[in-house]
Amino acid sequence: MKNFKLPDLGEGLPEAEIVEWHIKVGDTVDVDQVLVSVETAKAIVEVPSPQAGTIAKLYGEPGDIIHTGEPLLAFEGEGDDTGTVVGELKSSGKGDGNGAQQDQFIVGAAPSSKRARANRATPGVRALAERLGVGLETIKGSGPGGLITTDDVHKQASHQKQLGDAEPLRGTRRTMAKNMALSHAQVVPVSIFEDVDIGDWKKGTDITMRLVQAIGKACQVVPELNCWFDGDNLSRQLLNEVHVGIAVDTPEGLFVPVLRDITHRSQKDLRQGLENLREAVATRKIPPKEMQGATITLSNFGTMTGQYANPIVSPPQVAIVGAGRIRDKVVPYNGTATIRRILPLSLTFDHRAATGGEASRFLGAMVQALNNAS
Amino acid sequence: MRQIHEFHVDSTRYLDDHGKPPGELPPQAGNTIRVLAAYRNMVLTRTFDSKAIALQRTGKCGTYPSVLGHEVVGTAIGQGMAKSDVFVPYYRDQAAHLLRGVSLTELLLYWGGDERGSAWQNCPEDLPISVPIATQCCHAVGVAAAMKIRDENRAVVCCIGDGGTSKGDFLESINLAGAWHLPVVFVVINNQWAISTPRSLQSGAETIAQKAISAGLPGHIVDGNDYFATVEALDTALDRAHGGKGATVIEAVTYRLGDHTTADDATRYRTAEDLKRAWEKDGIKRLQNWLHDNGHWSPDKEKSLQAECKQTVERAVEKYLAMEAEPPTAMLDYLFETLPAALQPQREQIASKYRGGDL
Amino acid sequence: MSRAKRSIETRDVTLVEAVNMALHRAMADDANVVVLGEDIATNGGVFRATVGLKEAFGFKRVMDTPLAENLIAGTAIGMATQGLRPVAEFQFMGFIYAGMEQIVSHAARMRNRTRGRLHCPLVFRAPFGGGIHAPEHHSESTEALFAHIPGLRVVIPSSPQRAYGLLLAAIRNPDPVIFLEPKRIYRAVTQSVEDNGEALPLDTCFTLREGDDVTLITWGACVQETLQAADKLAEQGVSCEVIDVATVSPLDRETLLCSVAKTGRAVIVHEACRNGGVGAEVAASIAEGAFLDLQAPVVRVTGYDTIMPYYRNEQYYLPQVEDIVKAVEQVIAL
Repeated sequence: MKNFKLPDLGEGLPEAEIVEWHIKVGDTVDVDQVLVSVETAKAIVEVPSPQAGTIAKLYGEPGDIIHTGEPLLAFEGEGDDTGTVVGELKSSGKGDGNGAQQDQFIVGAAPSSKRARANRATPGVRALAERLGVGLETIKGSGPGGLITTDDVHKQASHQKQLGDAEPLRGTRRTMAKNMALSHAQVVPVSIFEDVDIGDWKKGTDITMRLVQAIGKACQVVPELNCWFDGDNLSRQLLNEVHVGIAVDTPEGLFVPVLRDITHRSQKDLRQGLENLREAVATRKIPPKEMQGATITLSNFGTMTGQYANPIVSPPQVAIVGAGRIRDKVVPYNGTATIRRILPLSLTFDHRAATGGEASRFLGAMVQALNNAS
Repeated sequence: MRQIHEFHVDSTRYLDDHGKPPGELPPQAGNTIRVLAAYRNMVLTRTFDSKAIALQRTGKCGTYPSVLGHEVVGTAIGQGMAKSDVFVPYYRDQAAHLLRGVSLTELLLYWGGDERGSAWQNCPEDLPISVPIATQCCHAVGVAAAMKIRDENRAVVCCIGDGGTSKGDFLESINLAGAWHLPVVFVVINNQWAISTPRSLQSGAETIAQKAISAGLPGHIVDGNDYFATVEALDTALDRAHGGKGATVIEAVTYRLGDHTTADDATRYRTAEDLKRAWEKDGIKRLQNWLHDNGHWSPDKEKSLQAECKQTVERAVEKYLAMEAEPPTAMLDYLFETLPAALQPQREQIASKYRGGDL
Repeated sequence: MSRAKRSIETRDVTLVEAVNMALHRAMADDANVVVLGEDIATNGGVFRATVGLKEAFGFKRVMDTPLAENLIAGTAIGMATQGLRPVAEFQFMGFIYAGMEQIVSHAARMRNRTRGRLHCPLVFRAPFGGGIHAPEHHSESTEALFAHIPGLRVVIPSSPQRAYGLLLAAIRNPDPVIFLEPKRIYRAVTQSVEDNGEALPLDTCFTLREGDDVTLITWGACVQETLQAADKLAEQGVSCEVIDVATVSPLDRETLLCSVAKTGRAVIVHEACRNGGVGAEVAASIAEGAFLDLQAPVVRVTGYDTIMPYYRNEQYYLPQVEDIVKAVEQVIAL
């Protein structure tokens, strides 16, 4: 057997989850034939076959997480059979023309073994879990060395009784949970809010594009917010180009594709780019690299409900803009109470990387850019 | 039959038992500052030695090997070596250590059961005290080989006792030093005793120095209680080593005036007369007499030196006694550069036994 | 010397050739790496593990020593305290005992006893194990002696790729490594190995084959017989997980426990005699850490507790494929 190891599908992505096998053991495949769909941190990727051959073994089932560099499947082929050893320094007979194989091994334990080790319990506890219909894999043991105790099982059982079965997070939702927790642990967030009067906008103005371009303007005025910040080394990198991450809500979780270099592109070009990204997200075919390298993020939740928010900054970025739902409001206008269209804006920034003054000026620049009729 | 080679072993002595020079002294005697510094180091070593024994006798230090009778040769080694040379000691080299930069507190820590006693701050390249007999000789040739591989103009001094020369390590090492032409000086401190075994039972060879000849090295005998003879021998051998001319074996003949260690009782195997005769040859008294005779010393100077040495030792003792033991997890923290995962549970176990596990 | 000087190429090599390739790579990468031992320079080593090094790097860094193993060990220690990275060869493991005092009392302890002031980044290489019809004293497997010593790593490769990657790791490791080469399979297997300078991790097992029914735990030359046994057992429908321990000290217990958690059964295979062998430590670790997962007693297939017989009878001493198959059948039956 010859193992095919999970290649790095993005820039250093550590793991992928098997979504669907497109082949089964015994199938004959061609080079580049799609073998499996796997879900990485933010996309579903189809992995093609590196060679023609017959599938000998699949190393996981849908739902299993495979780490980069670990075997994904195996092709049939010559093994390293060396025959019996009868006493003399045996030679492999290099000249036999068979060609040498590459060594195949997993560093440390196989994924299936790690899974098995995670559910440590005494036979009594296992029996109890079975009786109560509790899956051991849903429990994090509280006993010594992670041992699952009877208490753990009872707790999980009553939990399940009250709330039903818990569902382990997978894919995008799992990544979102991890990233948000990470951000919350690191970032020192401060939010400021402002309303923009957009009563002078022409009918049919592309709101998202106006927001993107206003961010571009504000980044030129206050470059300190278009920046990557490294909290470990206390260093920052001010960036010339502005790449805006656009938060996209999907049933599977949050996606943030990146609209590149927005200050040097026409509105039409940007709109087309955004459509392409949204399409890729909707069909779950977006490559990981399209979701990396944002310098600032826009969360336009105004298409749904909500005026203001304190959205979460995603390191190494230092700022995120939230746009709320546009509404008619009675406001003073030229000295009289008038009904105007108001766009509520939120800006959250990492106070480790930028000052309140910078953030305030940034928001001011956005308001100014948005106030104009076009 | 014809003679293929003729070998000889020289012996050097400049001062008689009373510190009188029957003949001409080597040029080293003209360097009064160096001679006075040597005398000070000998007195400081002896002051320290008696204090260390007292600490052991009062339960404040562990088993300790007295350096009594080795002060002269140790001082000559310390003075002969350049700072950039590497010292490879055995375990009775206190006089040399002090000149290399090892602190009195570090010496006390070592014998007082604390590994920090070998973490020498001021001579970081010197090898630590070697307890397994003669093993350090192999390290010495390894260090010297490293210098040679890197084309450095540095040398190694390696100390060993007369008993140690019976071990293969010594013979293998002088053999390699000859074969590879290494910049190393072996100083055999022949103090006549290996615990209770006298020099005569160690070897049928007339001298230890002649063992050098089997390795293709020069072997010299010096009176190890004669500062001028030992320092001249060290200077000459180190010049040879630095000059790329290879290794030397020096047999420094002296006498172990104390017990083997504080756990030993030498009266079980040697006579009071033997010891009395040896004291008459004491090297420190000899050098003091010579300094007197040549107008470099006085009773006042002696008194103030004694007081200064005593104060220096007291300060070191205070510092040593005030130092808290390392946390016990240190026993694992220096085993490898990074503690392997397999050992982490044992570290946690040790930590849990110490101050409520707060480590 | 810069890394760039040696080009990256992929070659079909045996285990001993992979050792040679790693030595060439390590010496080209780091001028502090020196090699010493008996007959290693001009002759290239009795097994040719060091062939070509003298020609490539010169006598100064590739040194034939006098015939004194204790001296080789001690000299390497002295060199290592000065920041060189010596790789010293003991011609056979049967002659390493003369160097024991140096290895145990100095190499293993230098960092600890100087509180990190000096350390010993060195590798002691030695071919070990039986099965090549060698004279007496040339066939023993005494890795347990060294595994018992705190401060040492004991690493045993069992394929050309692992020999290359683990030897590079051993040389780059800042602490002493006993690197034992299973000479029975020095030339038994040829693999395609890329000379890319990439080390494999130490202190970890390697899972060579995934299986569900029983975990076969082994190292060194016995990896060959164990894989063959796993093939035979597969024909009988028994699915074996095969683990190469590789670093026998410190032991990667976690990988072993994970595997036993899955299979519930363990058979340990080693060539060394049984009493106090590394297999005993493995078995004890499984008893302590995976007792609840076990469905059968842990079984050992080992050499016998006697002097390694001279070569006419050595095959009766060495674990054979049939012995391993039998032991597995025994634990599977439970």
